[in-house]
Amino acid sequence: MTTATFDMPVGAQKPSSTAGIAVALLLPIALVNAIGFILPVFNLARMSFNEALPGGGIAEAFTAANWTGLLQDSFYIELILNSIMVSLGITFATLLASYPIALYLHRASGAWRTFLTVLVISPLLTSAVVRTYGWIALLAEQGPVANVIAAMGFQPPRMMFNTTGVVIGLTEILMPYMILSLMAGFGRLDPKVEEAARTLGATPFRTFWRVILPLTLPGIALGCLLCFVLAISSFITLKLMGGGRVFLLATEIYDQAIVTLNWPLAATLSMLVLIIFGAALAVYSRVLRMIEG
Amino acid sequence: MMHQTIKRDGVETIGNPHLSLEGINKKYGLVEVISNLNLEVRKGELIALLGPSGCGKTTTLRMIAGLIAPSAGKIAVGGRDVTHIAPHGRDMGLVFQSYALFPHMTVAKNVAFGLEMRGLSRADIANKVAKALAMVQLGHLAERKPRELSGGQQQRVALARALVIEPSILLLDEPLSNLDAKLRDEMRTQIRDIQQELGITTVFVTHDQVEALSMCDRIVVMKGGLIEQVGTPHEIYERPTTPFVASFVGRTNRVKGKRTGDGCIRIGSSMIRSARPAVQDDVMVMVRPHRIHVDWSAASTERQGETQNRMAAVLSRITFVGDVIQYHFDVGGTEFIVEESTKKSQASRRQGDEAVLSWSVEDTLVFGADQ
Ligand SMILES: Nc1ncnc2c1ncn2[C@@H]1O[C@H](COP(=O)(O)OP(=O)(O)OP(=O)(O)O)[C@@H](O)[C@H]1O
Ligand SMILES: [Mg+2]
Repeated sequence: MTTATFDMPVGAQKPSSTAGIAVALLLPIALVNAIGFILPVFNLARMSFNEALPGGGIAEAFTAANWTGLLQDSFYIELILNSIMVSLGITFATLLASYPIALYLHRASGAWRTFLTVLVISPLLTSAVVRTYGWIALLAEQGPVANVIAAMGFQPPRMMFNTTGVVIGLTEILMPYMILSLMAGFGRLDPKVEEAARTLGATPFRTFWRVILPLTLPGIALGCLLCFVLAISSFITLKLMGGGRVFLLATEIYDQAIVTLNWPLAATLSMLVLIIFGAALAVYSRVLRMIEG
Repeated sequence: MMHQTIKRDGVETIGNPHLSLEGINKKYGLVEVISNLNLEVRKGELIALLGPSGCGKTTTLRMIAGLIAPSAGKIAVGGRDVTHIAPHGRDMGLVFQSYALFPHMTVAKNVAFGLEMRGLSRADIANKVAKALAMVQLGHLAERKPRELSGGQQQRVALARALVIEPSILLLDEPLSNLDAKLRDEMRTQIRDIQQELGITTVFVTHDQVEALSMCDRIVVMKGGLIEQVGTPHEIYERPTTPFVASFVGRTNRVKGKRTGDGCIRIGSSMIRSARPAVQDDVMVMVRPHRIHVDWSAASTERQGETQNRMAAVLSRITFVGDVIQYHFDVGGTEFIVEESTKKSQASRRQGDEAVLSWSVEDTLVFGADQ
C-alpha cells in the first residue's frame, strides 16, 4: 500500500484536499458577491414587480404594469435607444482615440513602456468628478477650446450641457480602461508576423487591414464591451456635462428614485440596464467565437 | 559554370553580382553585432551563412530583407541600391526562424497572402497555393489553422509561403531545423530543385555544416559578426583559412607544434611537413580524423616520406558509432582521433596497442597558434 503512493505525482495524492482548498479559496468572494450583488439585484428584480403609489409609496404586489407601461411609452423607448446609441458612440470614439496609443504601447519596451503605461493609468487615480470639472472649464462657452476655434475664424459650437459634451467627457474618462483592455487583448500580435506580411509584399496599410487589425480584434471586443457597459451606466459625468439637459437611462433612474420617488419604475429601469448588459455580453462572446473560429 | 573571382582590397568580388552587401555594419546601442561585412552573391546562387549561435546570421538576413536598417554600408540587388527601400518593395521571400505564420489564417490563406498582395487572379492563386502545398507535402492540411499544426508542419508552411511568390531573392533562416532527418533530406532536395529551376538567388542560414556543405554553391562562415571565410564547400572543407573554420566545418584533430629551420614542424619528438609553410614559430596543426591511416604493424617511425607524415601512437580508447569506428590515440600526450569505416578485423584492437599514424602532407593544415 505505502509503496504505491511513491509513483503518484505531487498534488494528485489527495484529490479531495485540493478540491477543499479550492472551495475555501472561493468562499470569501462568493460570499461577498452573494451579499453585495446577487441579493440586491434580487431585491431590485422583486421591486420592479411592485406597484407604485402616488406620492412615493410602494404597494407589495406582483404586477407587470411597470414593465408593460415602460415598453409602451414612446418616451422610454426613445430614452433606451438614445442611451444605447450614445453609449455606442462613446465606445467607438474611445476605441478610435485609444487604439493607436495601445498599439504604440504594445510595441514600446523597457523603461519607456513602463513610464507610458503609468501615464495612461494615472487618470484613474483622480476622481471622475475632478476630471469632469476640468472638461467643463475647457469646454465652457468662453473657455480655451471655444477661443481657439473662434481664433481660427469659425463659430464655436456648443460643447457643454449637451450630448457633445457628454461624449467628449466620457470618451476621455473611459480611455484608460479601453487602452488597458486593448493591450491585454494584443497578445497574439507578434511583431514577426507583421514583418512576415511586409516581406510578402504588403504595404503598411494592407498589413494593418489584413494582419494587425484581425489579430487585435479580441482586444477591441474586450475594450468595447467594457467601455459600453461603463458608458451606459455612468452617471456623474453625464449629470455634470449634460447639465440636466441630456436625458439618458442613468439620469432617468436617478430622477425616478430620488426626485419622483417612483422606486418600482427606477427598479424596472435598472433591471433593463442589466438586461442590456446581458445582451452586450452575449454579443461579445458571439463576436469572440467568430474571431477565434 | 566557372566564374572568375578577383581579389580587391582583400575582398573577394565577382563580376555582376545579383545581391551585394558592402561594408555592412550593425550596432545595437554600443554593441557591434556585424562588422564590415562584404558579400556578393551571383544570380541563381545558393549561398549558406554558417556560424555558431549569436554570430549574426539572422541579423544579416533581416538587413537584406529590409526589416532592420544597417548602421552603415550599402545593400544592392541587381545593381540597384535598396538600402533604404521598405521590405515590401524588395521582392524577397523570407522564412523566419520562428516561422511567423499568420495565426488567424488557414494554411492555404497563409500561402496565398503574398500572391494576393501581388494582385494575382483567384484561379491563379488557388492553383499556385495547391502546388506549393503539395510540394511541402501539406496539401491535406490546407484548411487547418497554424496552431493545429506541429512545429515541422508549420515550418513547411512558412517555406511554401516564401517559395510560392517566386521572389527574386529567397532568404531562409534555418528553415529545416525542426524536421526529422528523412523529411529534412527531402526538403533539402526540394529547395535545391526549386531554387535551381527558378534560378532564385538564395541565402540559406544554418548552423548545420552538413546542410551547408551538401546543398550550397558557396558557404560564408561567420564568427562574432565577422566573415571568417567565403568559398565553395570543397574550399571550405579542404582549405580552411582559419583554425575556426577548420574546426567548425568538419571535425579535426588539433595539436600544437613549433616551426623548425628547414620548414618542418616539430610536434613533441616527431617532425612533420605541411602543404603550406608555417607563418609563425608557434603553430597549430590540424588533421581531419578520417584522413589519417593507421598502420598497426609498422616498426619504424623514423622514415618520413616527402608526401606522408608519420607519428607513433598508442591506442587509448575505441568508440563504436555504427558506420564508423573512432580510435582515440595518444600521440606524445596529445589525443588524436582517427576514424575508419567499420570492418570485422577491428574487433581485435585493444587499449594499449601501438601503431603508426600516417597522413598526407596535403591534408596537414597549419595555422599560427594565436590565430
Ligand atoms: N534587438 C537586439 N538588440 C540587441 N542585441 C541584439 C538584438 N538582436 C540580436 N542581437 C545580438 O546580435 C547578435 C547576433 O544575433 P543573431 O540573431 O543575428 O544571431 P544568429 O547568428 O542568428 O544566432 P542563432 O543561430 O542563435 O539564431 C547576438 O549576439 C544577439 O545577442
Ligand atoms: Mg538566428
